[in-house]
Amino acid sequence: MNDRRIWWFFIVPCMLVALAVVMSLAAVFQYSFREFIPGSLDTGGFTLENFYNIGRPLYFLVILDTLLISLLTAIFCLLLSYPVAYALVRTEAEWLRALLVILSITPLFTGEIVRTYAWMLVLGSDGFVNSILMALGIVSAPVQFMYTKFGVIVALVHFSMPVMIILLATAISHVNRDYEKAAANLGAAPLVVFWRVTVPLTMPGIVASTVVIFAWTMSAFATPQLIGGGKVLMISNLVYLQGLSSFNFPVAAVLSAVAFIAAVGSLALVQPFVTRLERRVAQQ
Amino acid sequence: MGKFLFWTLVVAILIFLTIPAVVVIMSSVNPTETLAFPPKGFSLHWYARAFSYDDFRTSFYSGLIVTFFASTIASVIGVAAAYVTHRYAFRGRRLLEFLLAAPLIIPRFTTGFGFLLVGAGLGINNGYTIVIVTHVVLVLPFVTRSVYVSLVNVDRSLERSAANLGASPINVLLRITLPLLTPGIVGGWIIAAILSFTEFTASLYVTSYATQTLPVAMYTYVREYTDPTIAAISALLIITTTLGMFIVDRTLGLKRVLAIESH
Amino acid sequence: MAIRMKGLLAAAILLAGTGIAPAQEELVVSIWGGNWRDGAQEAIATEFTKRTGVEVKFVTGGTMDRLTKAKLSAGAPQADVTLTTSHVAYLYSASDLFEKLDVSKIPNLKEAYPIALRSPYAIGLYSYVYAPAYRTDLMPDDFKITSWKDLWGDQVKDKLGLPDFDPSHIIIAAAKLSGADAKDWKKGIPLLEKLKPNIKALYQSDATSQELMKTGETPVQVLLSINAYHQMSQGIPIKLVIPEEGGVVGIDAVGISAGTKMADAAYQFVNTALDPKVQEKLCELYKCSPMNAKAHVSDEMAKLPGIFTSDEQLEKQILVDDETRAKLLPEWKSWFTENMTR
Repeated sequence: MNDRRIWWFFIVPCMLVALAVVMSLAAVFQYSFREFIPGSLDTGGFTLENFYNIGRPLYFLVILDTLLISLLTAIFCLLLSYPVAYALVRTEAEWLRALLVILSITPLFTGEIVRTYAWMLVLGSDGFVNSILMALGIVSAPVQFMYTKFGVIVALVHFSMPVMIILLATAISHVNRDYEKAAANLGAAPLVVFWRVTVPLTMPGIVASTVVIFAWTMSAFATPQLIGGGKVLMISNLVYLQGLSSFNFPVAAVLSAVAFIAAVGSLALVQPFVTRLERRVAQQ
Repeated sequence: MGKFLFWTLVVAILIFLTIPAVVVIMSSVNPTETLAFPPKGFSLHWYARAFSYDDFRTSFYSGLIVTFFASTIASVIGVAAAYVTHRYAFRGRRLLEFLLAAPLIIPRFTTGFGFLLVGAGLGINNGYTIVIVTHVVLVLPFVTRSVYVSLVNVDRSLERSAANLGASPINVLLRITLPLLTPGIVGGWIIAAILSFTEFTASLYVTSYATQTLPVAMYTYVREYTDPTIAAISALLIITTTLGMFIVDRTLGLKRVLAIESH
Repeated sequence: MAIRMKGLLAAAILLAGTGIAPAQEELVVSIWGGNWRDGAQEAIATEFTKRTGVEVKFVTGGTMDRLTKAKLSAGAPQADVTLTTSHVAYLYSASDLFEKLDVSKIPNLKEAYPIALRSPYAIGLYSYVYAPAYRTDLMPDDFKITSWKDLWGDQVKDKLGLPDFDPSHIIIAAAKLSGADAKDWKKGIPLLEKLKPNIKALYQSDATSQELMKTGETPVQVLLSINAYHQMSQGIPIKLVIPEEGGVVGIDAVGISAGTKMADAAYQFVNTALDPKVQEKLCELYKCSPMNAKAHVSDEMAKLPGIFTSDEQLEKQILVDDETRAKLLPEWKSWFTENMTR
C-alpha cells in the first residue's frame, strides 16, 4: 500500500503550495527590511528603520487597538458561540439540527463584504436598530453605532462566530455523552452537569478556539474599514492605507509581518497550555 | 425551566446571526434610495440595476473563472495532501501540515500583500494566475480537512482485500480509495468554491481591473454609491449560499463536510 | 531573495495555466467610480464611440489605488487612458506611466485655457473647488461661514467631516490662515491641532461623504463642489460657501498610458473630451468649470459658487502647482494620519 510512487506523485503538488505560502511570507519579510523611497514603489537597501516606525504613536496605538479589539471579539464570540455549538451537537431532532447548522454557518460563506454591508444597514443612523429604537420611543435621536469601537466589535463578533461555532462544536462532539448522563443520573441539575462536566471536558477546545478566533479576527479588513470609517483603525486598514494608497510597501510589509507574528505567536504561546489541559482531561 | 432558558438564549443568538441577512433582503426590495424600516413598498428596481451594471457582470464572470480553477486545483491538491499526511510517515510531515494549514491563521491581508509582492516580482499581476494561486492557498485547508475526515472513515479492509486479490497499489487507490472519498472531495470542492467566490481581502490586493472578482467590485461600488444595489446582490448571494448549504447538508451532511463530527 | 526565485515559482504557476489573459478590443479608461464614471460615460464616451466606433470600457477605483496598480503593471498598462487629479497626474508622469503628448493630435486644445496644459504629459479637463459646506437644516440659524476660520468655531464642535484620502485642502487652508503657503505648511500645524475637537469623522470616499452628510453625522464638511451639487440634487439641503480666502482649486486631468496599443483611439478620446459641446455636457452633469473657453456655461450655472468663467475669478482662489502638491502629498498624508485621525 505504501507505494513510494504514489507518495512522490502526491507530495509534489503539496510542496508547490507550501512553497507558494513560504514565498509570499518571504516577500513580506524581505520588503520589511527595505528602505522606503517616498513616491516610488522601488525600495532601497537594507534597513531596520521600518521596525522602529512601529514605536511611533500612530502605529503602536493601532497595533494595541487591534489586539484589544481582537481579544474582546474572541471573548464575546466564545460566550455567544458555545450555547449554539452545544445545541448543534446535542440536538437529536434532525430538522432542528439542520436548521441550527445552516443558520449559524451560512454567514461564513456569504463573505466579508456582504456581511459588513449588512451591518452598515443594521447599525447606521437611519438603520434598522435606530429605526426600531426611535419607533418605540426608547431614544429621541439616533444612537451612534457607526464609526465606534462598539459597532466594529459587534460586526466582528458576527464575522468570527461561524468559525468559532465550528471549532467549539468539534470540541463538544468529542465529549462522551455518557459522562453527562452519569452525572445527571447521580442527581445533578442540568446546569450543574453543564458547568461541572461539559465545560471542563471541553476546556482545551475552548482555549484553542478562542486563540484561533483572536488570530482570525485580525484578518478582518472590510469590517473595520467600512464600519470604523477611519475612526477605528486596525492593522489591516493601515496596511492598505500605507501599501495600496501611499506606496509605502516597506511599512505595509512590517505591519503585515507584525500581524503574522501576533497571530502565529499567540497560537504557539498557548499550545503548551492546551496540551497540558488535554492531558488533564484525558486523565479524568 | 433550564431547558426553556437555554433555548431562549440559543434563539436570541441565532436572531443576532440572522438579522443582518434579513435586513439586507428587506432593503433590497425597498423602492427608495434611503433606507426605511419597514420598507415603503416592493420593487425589483435595485435588482435590475445590479444586473445591468457592467462592473458586476464582468467581475461575476472573472469570479467564476477564478473560483472554478481555484477550487478544482485545491480539490486535487487537497486529496494529495490528505492522503500523504494520513497514510505516510515521513520527515517534515508536521512542517508540511503546518504550512498547508497556515493560511487559516495568517492574516488575509498578509497573504494578499505577500502574493502582490511576489506577483510584482514576477510581472504577472495583470493575469488570473496570481489570483488563482492565492485562492488555492486560501481554500486548500478546508478541502484537505473535508477529504481527511473521509479518509479516516475509509474501511481499510476493503483496500486490503483488493490488494490481496492482486490489485496494484495504484489500482487500489484509483478503484477503491478515491471512489470512497468522493463525498469528501465533492463537499470540499463546494466549500472551496463558495469561499473562493466570496473571498475579499486577499483578492483586493492580487486582482487587477481585468481580473477583479465580485466582492472587489462590490467594495468599489460601496465606496462610491450609497444606493441599495449592493443590497440586491448581497440578497442574491445570501439566498444562493443558504440554498447551497441546504443542499450540501441534505446530500453530504454539513457536519461531515466541515469535519465537526469525528466519527 | 524571494523576488528573484523566478524560475521556481514560475514552475508552481504552470499549474494554474498562464494562458488565460483577458482580450482587449476596446479603449480602456481608468476613472473613479460612481457619479464620475456615469458622467464620463454619458458625456465623453457616447460621443467618442459615435465618432470612432470604438467602445469604451471604464475601470474604476480610488485615486491612489489606481496609481499603485498602474505602477505595479508598468510596461503592460491595464488602461489606455487615465483620468485623475492633476497633481496625481504629475506622479503618473514622474513614474513614466504617461506618454509624452503630441499636442498636434489634440486640435481642441487650442481652444482651451492655458492652464489646461498641465504638463507635456497631462491635460486638464475641468476645474472645481474644495470648500466648506454645511447642512442648512441641521446647523443653527445664526451659523454662517465666511472664512475658513469659521470651521474652527464652537458651533462646529464634533460636527466636521474631512476627506482622509487627500488632506491637502485643510492643510493648505490652515497654512494660509497662518500667513504661510503650501510650501511652509508646517506653520499651520498649531492651528490644525486646534481643529481636532471639531472633527467628527473622516470620509474615505464620495459615498461615505454623502452618507455622513445625509444622516447628519457630520453636518459640516470640507467638500468637493461637484459632490456638493450632486448631494443637493439628491435633495439634501446643503450650502456651499467659497470663503473669503478662496476655495482650494482642483483640476482633473487626462493622460495616455505609456506603452498603450490604442494610442490613436486614446488621442481621439482626449480630443473628444475637450470638444466644446462635450465639455458643456460634462460640466452640466458634474457642475464644474470647463477648460475649453468656447464651452458655453449657462447663466444659471455661472452663478453657482465654485463655477469659474474667467481668469480673474480663478485668481481669487487658492491655487497650488501640481508639482508642489504632488511632492508634499505623501508627507501631508502621513502627518495627517498620525496626528489628526486619533
